[in-house]
Amino acid sequence: MTRAATRVAPVALAVLAAACQPGPKETVQLGFRGTGMEQVFDRDSLARAVAHNILPDSIPPIPATASRAPGNWQNVQVLTDVSQSEFNRTMVAMTQWVAPQQGCNYCHVPGNFASDSIYTKVVARTMLRMVRDVNRDWTGHVGQTGVTCWSCHRGQPVPNNVWFFTDEKQPLRHYLDRQDVRVQSASWAPSDANRSSIKQTEYTYALMLSMSRSLGVNCGFCHNSPRWSSWEQSTPQRVTALRGIRMARALNNDYLLPLQPTFPAQRLGPHGDVPKIQCATCHQGAYKPLYGAKIAQQYPAMYWQHSAGGAVPTNPTAPLDSLQAPVPTAPGAPTLPVPAATPTPGRQTQPPATTPP
Amino acid sequence: MADYQNLFTRVQVRMAPDPGVPVAPGTWTRSGRGRFSHLLGIIGDAQVGPVYLGTAGLVSLVFGFVAFEIIGLNMWASVGWDPVEFVRQLPWLALEPPPPELGLSFPPMEQGGWWLVAGFFLTTSILLWWVRIYQRAKALGMGTHLPWAFASAIWLYLVLGFIRPLLMGSWGEAVPFGIFPHLDWTAAFSIRYGNLFYNPFHMLSIAFLYGSTLLFAMHGATILAVSRLGGEREIEQITDRGTASERAALFWRWTMGWNATMESIHRWCWWFAVLTTLTGGIGILLTGTVVDNWYLWGKKHGIVPEYPAVYEQPAVPVQPGETRGYLQGTPPDTFPGMRGARPSPNRAAQPVLPANPAEAARNPANPTPIQQPETTPQGTPAERGQPGAAPARPSPAAGGDTTGRGTP
Repeated sequence: MTRAATRVAPVALAVLAAACQPGPKETVQLGFRGTGMEQVFDRDSLARAVAHNILPDSIPPIPATASRAPGNWQNVQVLTDVSQSEFNRTMVAMTQWVAPQQGCNYCHVPGNFASDSIYTKVVARTMLRMVRDVNRDWTGHVGQTGVTCWSCHRGQPVPNNVWFFTDEKQPLRHYLDRQDVRVQSASWAPSDANRSSIKQTEYTYALMLSMSRSLGVNCGFCHNSPRWSSWEQSTPQRVTALRGIRMARALNNDYLLPLQPTFPAQRLGPHGDVPKIQCATCHQGAYKPLYGAKIAQQYPAMYWQHSAGGAVPTNPTAPLDSLQAPVPTAPGAPTLPVPAATPTPGRQTQPPATTPP
Repeated sequence: MADYQNLFTRVQVRMAPDPGVPVAPGTWTRSGRGRFSHLLGIIGDAQVGPVYLGTAGLVSLVFGFVAFEIIGLNMWASVGWDPVEFVRQLPWLALEPPPPELGLSFPPMEQGGWWLVAGFFLTTSILLWWVRIYQRAKALGMGTHLPWAFASAIWLYLVLGFIRPLLMGSWGEAVPFGIFPHLDWTAAFSIRYGNLFYNPFHMLSIAFLYGSTLLFAMHGATILAVSRLGGEREIEQITDRGTASERAALFWRWTMGWNATMESIHRWCWWFAVLTTLTGGIGILLTGTVVDNWYLWGKKHGIVPEYPAVYEQPAVPVQPGETRGYLQGTPPDTFPGMRGARPSPNRAAQPVLPANPAEAARNPANPTPIQQPETTPQGTPAERGQPGAAPARPSPAAGGDTTGRGTP
């Protein structure tokens, strides 16, 4: 028996030690000393993550001497502001980013490139519009890095980490049509102003953990844990993350939900809902997608070249004072019982006028 | 030459089992004559039994088994009666209390009714077990230190699952049954109430908990260290102090300057253990009922350190409606385990609406819209210039998009 124990014990210790990530670590202090706001990066894990976030092969830019004349295309609705050669380069890039195995015919009808009869082409047009809007309207989140199709797709027609309505994904509705996440009171004494329940707290907790895992960081990346809700003690990353939440919400509502009639049934979720994005769709475990590689700047077609983008130009730094951005109830969402005391979506359209900007 | 004698020995003696001291005759007698177990003899006394079960013990076991079955079968049902998934997901499975909007009503069975029933059986079982050990202690002519120590743990259990939910007006405040779920509840509880570490009774509980382990280690080590001198025979050493007790006491006077006695060390240990759950229960009881945010309470009373701001932060205003679950009576969306038809909400858990709508509108923390803008194609009443109308609230339909972002 003792002999068995001496054999088992080293194995058990090795298993335990393996769970400890024994490799070298990088520790980055993010807050005031003593607060424990620090990120610990395991170098081996980080190396694996970096290797996972590979970049696409770059496509040579169009020479400056090339003609800037736009192509004489039919049924082009978004890429009307780039030259013919840049248009072709963009098509090659998009194929490489989204459908490298399937090729042009994943979206285009062979011989009739103008046809919209394949649904993926309609989706791609919407997504291209979305990318351009993100690079113009949401620089508060994406900075000057910008996004391309590759940011999410990574060479796959359907990106990783899209989500559908299920019980397990309920906390992700914060990225769609649920706004309230704060559960702590603004004063020490109990009052009817905040009667958040423990279950609602667990809901917020689940959302925060999904963000943490999406970015490969721990809570201290944004928060000082003694006081989660304090902005003064938070890092600037929390503001970026807040803009990111609003961006995900806006993109889900403005671009993905309207695609529901376009998608065929096999692309929809169990409730018939469209695939939706979350932080992990683009971040994929990295605190900056692709660790901040600036791909978009190499492709002018990822940006509106003039203001005729079809959308209203807006505040480029992502509105921080518009927490109450109208959030429509998503079509296809499971019907939720609305209690008598809860208003209909009108609650979500209350103006922010009651608080100083 | 002196022999090394130590009563801690690996030799196990076999003889007729000790039936124990005689007790007053009652309905029940001890069952069996006792037997010996070599394995148990390694870690304690080798004799097993006789056992006294008694009415309280028997009913307690039955009730405990019923609770165990209810919890287990509910967990199994939650994975569609799949035995493999049941084993695989067991640490994460839960029997959740009712959703908060049901208040203290008896909920439908699949929405926390089973939780309530399981809680009843488990609580009854625990209380009957307390009765059992109280009766056994009395029957043996012992003091009642054991049942009262157990009562301290029961106090914390009752506060968590019964007393505090009653005060909060909702069974949904209580702890779920489950391995990780009850740990998640603990984390969520601290988050919801602004960091439990600033709760002074939580501090006391931690101090007594850590103190218990320290006392346990000190006492256990002291007795083991003088066992070669007969130190483990504590009772004899209390009344007739031999060299073991003398040396143990001298050791602590040398190292610590002062020593507990052979008797008082056990009072130290008993009180530290009892106060751990006693103060913990008080801390839980005050949370949400008297104090809603322990961090801010601590700030008010000067126990929160002030840290300088490290970053230049943009002003991020707290918006009305940002607080989740502004009223407990509203359902937290659809949570797992909250499927199925909902009964009418418990009126007791409904918000108390301010009598004056304007007052409610001024309270940014209360987003309950007393006056929703009456949006018509002609605009709000205020925009139409009607007297006494609510302040103009731009709405998207009225062309007053507040976001600065148009709808494409």
